[in-house]
Amino acid sequence: MVDPMIAGLGVVALMGAAATISGAAEDLESDVGSMSNPNSQVQLAPQMGNLHRFFNKAISGEPVMWGAWCGIAGSVAFVFIKLNYPIIMAMAIGSFIAALIHSAYAVTAYLGRTASQSQFNQPLYLDIIVTHLGPIAGHGFIATFGIVGLSYLMTLPIPGLAHPFPLPLLAVIWGITMGAIGSSTGDNFYGSEVEYQHLPHGGGIPVASHGDITTKAGIGARNNIDVTNICSKFAGPTTGLAFGLIVFLSFWITIVFGTIGGIIAGIVIIVTLIFMNRRIELFAKDTYGPYRE
Amino acid sequence: MDPLILIGAITVGGILVGCGVHFIQVGGAPAAISTATGVGTGTAMLAAGSGLTGIITAAAMTGQPLWVVLAAGAVGATLMVTVTMVFANIIYVYGIGIVPASAKVPIDPITKSPQEKYVTPGTEGHGIPTVCFISGIIGSAIGGAGGGLIYYILNSALTGLSYGAAGAATVAGIFAVSIFFINAVVASYNIGGTIEGFHDPKFKKLPRGILASLVVSLVSGIIAVLLIL
Repeated sequence: MVDPMIAGLGVVALMGAAATISGAAEDLESDVGSMSNPNSQVQLAPQMGNLHRFFNKAISGEPVMWGAWCGIAGSVAFVFIKLNYPIIMAMAIGSFIAALIHSAYAVTAYLGRTASQSQFNQPLYLDIIVTHLGPIAGHGFIATFGIVGLSYLMTLPIPGLAHPFPLPLLAVIWGITMGAIGSSTGDNFYGSEVEYQHLPHGGGIPVASHGDITTKAGIGARNNIDVTNICSKFAGPTTGLAFGLIVFLSFWITIVFGTIGGIIAGIVIIVTLIFMNRRIELFAKDTYGPYRE
Repeated sequence: MDPLILIGAITVGGILVGCGVHFIQVGGAPAAISTATGVGTGTAMLAAGSGLTGIITAAAMTGQPLWVVLAAGAVGATLMVTVTMVFANIIYVYGIGIVPASAKVPIDPITKSPQEKYVTPGTEGHGIPTVCFISGIIGSAIGGAGGGLIYYILNSALTGLSYGAAGAATVAGIFAVSIFFINAVVASYNIGGTIEGFHDPKFKKLPRGILASLVVSLVSGIIAVLLIL
């Protein structure tokens, strides 16, 4: 018989792994579909005279959108689990349905947003829809599958887990949290670095440059597949690590240290992170120096 | 449970959430393109993301005393925001190559390090300097405790009624999430765009935000009474 604590740790590690994959896929979906706050610049570019071949999709705030997809996937999976379907198959069916709805919204969002920019002569490229829709749905499927998986694991009757919330509600909440993290971490790299790659590296984007996005790739016009290629090397995995760490730490502390000890351990981790952040800030100041004396 | 206790606790929880949102440094779209200091997402979004993590960790303590549920909610929400801020700064510093700096204060009130000369010309700061980091931690702890309080009181009120244990936790969770969102959105309207934290001049709007949270939470509390009738 496996020690319940060991079993709990194993499940929490699995949840962390699922969250890491989901977080990375979430960020890359927002890159290939041009989602969230950086998309404001894609929207602004034609008005500034920069016509582009970027996908243009901001269905809603990123967290709420992921709450919706994960909620749909979780609800459908929940129904199929209750119908005694195998767990993995139920989760796959739920994520597939969510990916279909996701795709429909992505197409209407792109068509609607681009059509609204016709007054600035922004063309609507059908090949952009065809080439980008697969990666959007694919990354969406991976992200929702991971979230439904970790939500299911949380409901297992294991000491330290056995969460009282049902699978669909957990999926909605984790979806919102994942969207908030992706929007706060990986998207900054897309917005500040990749979207303005022709500007000098190592500075914020001045207001005067807003809308002046990089529209040319190594060969030909840039699209979001090029953007995702760059982001997948840094921002995507970093977002995944952030989300994975949050899911893992949130439960690891209680399973290992108990209820009160877990709260104390959480505070210790937070204090450690404050010092870690200060070290990063000092590194930047010492290495990069001031912009003006 | 006495309906007045339910309404009172939900109102206090809502005020805590509304108050916490004002501390969380969010720069919205400008921060996502390093034109403003803070986390690059919307005010309500980061607050909701952290608060909901707090509700999950608080709900995991169902059956424990009130202070344990509140502490678990606060720690869960704070962990989410702290990890997010550290990773955001990793991306700002190592990926984008900028120095975290505030444009709202010439000197960081906590570390006393100068800010102005590290701000890129033409921007209103970028990244998450220490003062914003600490403010975010305070805000998420207050918001997480508020969310935990709403969940705890609703779950306690519904347990023993016809909902069953699972139904009580589920309805309490959905209501807590809803009230959290209502207060986060009301607070974001009061902030009006971006805020760097307690050192930002916009933070002076906090009393008005608390009043708004009081009103909407009171109404939410009265609606919640319908659940126990």
